[in-house]
Amino acid sequence: MLSIENLSVAIRRPGRQVAALSDVSFAVRPGEVVGLVGESGGGKSMVARAVVGLLPGGSHATGRVLVEGADVLRMDDAALAAHRGRGAAICFQNPRGALSPTRTIGRQLVDRLTTHQEMSGDRAREAARELFEAVGIRSAQRRLDAYAHELSGGMAQRVMISLATGCAPGLLIADEPTTGLDVTLTREILRQFRHAADTDERAVLLISHDLASIAEVCDRVVVLYAGTVVESGPAAQVLREPAHPYTRALLRSVPDVGGRPVVATPGTMPLLTRAPENCPFVARCAHADDTCASRRPPTEPLAGTGDWSLACFHPQTRPLDAGTPPTPATPVGGAAVAGPVPQRAVLEIEDAHVVYRSRFGSGGHHALRGVTLRLGPGETLGVVGESGCGKSTLAKLVMGLVAPTSGTVSVAGQALVKQPGRPRPRGRALRRARTRAQLVFQDPIGSLSPRRTVGDSIAEPLRAAGLSAAERDARVAAVLDRMELDRAILRRYPHELSGGQAQRIGIARALVGEPDLIVFDEPTSALDVTVQAQILDVIADVAADADRASVFISHDLATVRGFADRVVVLYLGRVVEEGPVDVVFDTPRHPYTRALLGSAPRLGATAGSEGAGVELVKDLEEADAAAGCPLAARCPFVTDRCRSERQELQSYGESRAACWRVPELPALIGRQAVTP
Amino acid sequence: MAESRTAASGDTAAAPVVVAGGDRESRFARRMIIVGATILALVALVAVFAPLLSPWGETEIDPANTLVAPGGDHLLGTDGNGMDIWSRVLHAARLDLGIALAAVALAVVVGTLLGLVAGYVGGWLDDVLMRVVDIFQSFPTFILALAVAALLGNGTVNLIITIAAVNAPAYARLVRAEVRSLRELPFVDAAITSGASPVGVLWRHLLPNSLTPVRVIAPLNCGWAMLTLAGLSFLGLGVSIPEAEWGAMISLGAADVVGGRWWTSVPPGLALFVCVLGFSLLGEGLQDRANAKRR
Repeated sequence: MLSIENLSVAIRRPGRQVAALSDVSFAVRPGEVVGLVGESGGGKSMVARAVVGLLPGGSHATGRVLVEGADVLRMDDAALAAHRGRGAAICFQNPRGALSPTRTIGRQLVDRLTTHQEMSGDRAREAARELFEAVGIRSAQRRLDAYAHELSGGMAQRVMISLATGCAPGLLIADEPTTGLDVTLTREILRQFRHAADTDERAVLLISHDLASIAEVCDRVVVLYAGTVVESGPAAQVLREPAHPYTRALLRSVPDVGGRPVVATPGTMPLLTRAPENCPFVARCAHADDTCASRRPPTEPLAGTGDWSLACFHPQTRPLDAGTPPTPATPVGGAAVAGPVPQRAVLEIEDAHVVYRSRFGSGGHHALRGVTLRLGPGETLGVVGESGCGKSTLAKLVMGLVAPTSGTVSVAGQALVKQPGRPRPRGRALRRARTRAQLVFQDPIGSLSPRRTVGDSIAEPLRAAGLSAAERDARVAAVLDRMELDRAILRRYPHELSGGQAQRIGIARALVGEPDLIVFDEPTSALDVTVQAQILDVIADVAADADRASVFISHDLATVRGFADRVVVLYLGRVVEEGPVDVVFDTPRHPYTRALLGSAPRLGATAGSEGAGVELVKDLEEADAAAGCPLAARCPFVTDRCRSERQELQSYGESRAACWRVPELPALIGRQAVTP
Repeated sequence: MAESRTAASGDTAAAPVVVAGGDRESRFARRMIIVGATILALVALVAVFAPLLSPWGETEIDPANTLVAPGGDHLLGTDGNGMDIWSRVLHAARLDLGIALAAVALAVVVGTLLGLVAGYVGGWLDDVLMRVVDIFQSFPTFILALAVAALLGNGTVNLIITIAAVNAPAYARLVRAEVRSLRELPFVDAAITSGASPVGVLWRHLLPNSLTPVRVIAPLNCGWAMLTLAGLSFLGLGVSIPEAEWGAMISLGAADVVGGRWWTSVPPGLALFVCVLGFSLLGEGLQDRANAKRR
């Protein structure tokens, strides 16, 4: 179906040259799902662009990209148009952005069908409805008249898939189709691609930075590093016993909900200006020797296997240590975990509600609905939940960037924002109080002022403390050493930094004033996998400081497990479950926690094990939480009592969950598994 | 084995497929910037060294030779008062360039400060400032300039104030819009949580970042300011004879052109044209480059 032979792409523009792809070869057969994985800059998107004939300006491409025997690189405009309509279709990373905002989604699908399939209007509409149903869109007839902005992210991606499959292309390409989607949705969307391959004998090329999450639906995977294919082979085997050191590094960098420790690989991917003459991974590889540094390893089949090949002089054969028993989260900061609530609370939130009032009219968005938290020094609290659950609002509430509509928040005993019936410091005292809590942002580069130097940014909290310039420099230098950054970086500007460097700067800024509390708001979600592992190392080190409390907010359960002592699970602004991290992860109580854990990708383990395996029935944005349990609209075990009665946190063993059916759940889940 | 691979790739990959495009646009932008900047540099040199380059003084009269054609003692002829056109065109660069630059500088400073405060503080202050801006912007620029100039009267300083007054509202609006969108970005939250005071946030974080569009608009604006100045002078509300200013010279010579004596008006007109072209090329080039960067 798709066969790429020795594809090399160099991008030459005045003043810069990039070897984007070097001798890439692989094939995708009909009915097969192939995963193309690697970090950003590895050339994944360039492969996708080459296949649909959209190479960027200034590209010099050699080799061949054969789709059903025709070379896409050498097609003329008419052939390309036909190829893009019927030969290959692509699903983009940002589905809402790829849909036209001013036309209904039904119209956009019907247009394609009438143009490429020469259908009549009525038949096309009927076909569109069937396509929507095929990708799991409920009430498809009604959805045909919806606009892109009315769809949730998961729904928009389903529409994109129906648009791409609508004209029955032989080849379907998906460029990071689940980035930005919640875990419970990711699995569902990936299954749609498997379905597209199985039902119509389509070839599917699935591009992702996350090997573990897509491996489940892939037949084979191809791993790219610095524009070269380093390993390709059957997905299950590559995942279990990756042979190339880079593939192993990639897998080890991903935190796992099972508690397997993350192993960080130092360094970053090189940006090549010419096709490499040695192994591009040599600088970061623990097994590298002189041969690796002087010659480029040829791509050879692995001994004794069919289509498993790799480009490495030192193939690894041991299985990746996926089966390591979960290491108990090191009780950093002492006995605060199990013991009584510590005397001095660094962070106290008491029944806080946050309502964002809409500017016009009387409506409002209820982002937090009665959250109570207490955190002592040395403790690390993990906060997890899907997008829209109120995680970021919680961060802003703690930092004093939003005021609670009711309830109270205090950091180190002081109120940072106006709260009903409480005094708060003003002027310089407020500025000092603010520096007691520091935030590490999700977008590392965006959180640095674009036109101020790195040195300026790090020193910002010290200005509020009124330190002299000399003292500031000394403190900045000290924190820079702790982040293992070179002094020269102080004079640089944010746009000159890599994501990993920028996040180290962000952490340095948070640390420099020696605050009582650091809030990490999704600090690694914008980073590449191996860089993410390095930053998690740094954060684990910082969170272990005994005199400071940390809050770690993430949509990814696995990262939280790494170093949190306690965890709270948020759903639509409410805490649905809380408890010691290992207890919550190993014996989840609430159906929502079970669903989250069940959808999280894990290496080597069979999906749905450990008694999780709850499937939620709808997308988040379709669910309405007016009264009763917030999960009522999506929970498979819902009863009338759930819909009418508000659920409060109750103790179940060491953890607490807001669900009255917890004792019955194991039996209910068993029954659900038998009768699907 | 590596060698055999290279050989194999040799026959499939005969000639590379080249995709055209890339940096064509930004190359064009760079050319515009270079040409525009060169023109303006020349005009600036002329303005500085006008006395050295001119055979006659700025207001020196040759009473025996009024309205003589180009050639001889007078390179570009003389006007009705017997003043040398060439010398006056060169001298006029000082006043035109000086007033335009000073006026735009004043407009940028005043407009940026108003925009910063309105955008950051918001609320009623924002409403009041922006309604004032609305009032200013609801008149055609030149009509407004005429009214202000008539109100303030003649004189170099008054001209600078006039032209700055009609241009400042646009900067206020531009900077306000920029501040309002920047305010939502994480780095502002980062500054606040790091204990920066409101003035610190404005001065050290929002100001430097909101100036990007100003840098692009200001050169274009200089061209417009120069045209406004010439227009006011042409109508007798700006610089008046005998001082050398291109608009005033065009005005003075307008009657002579009808009689076939083109040299009184055309040279100052061309000078004005070249100078405004320089500003336009520079401004457009900067704008294209900024757009290319954003992509």
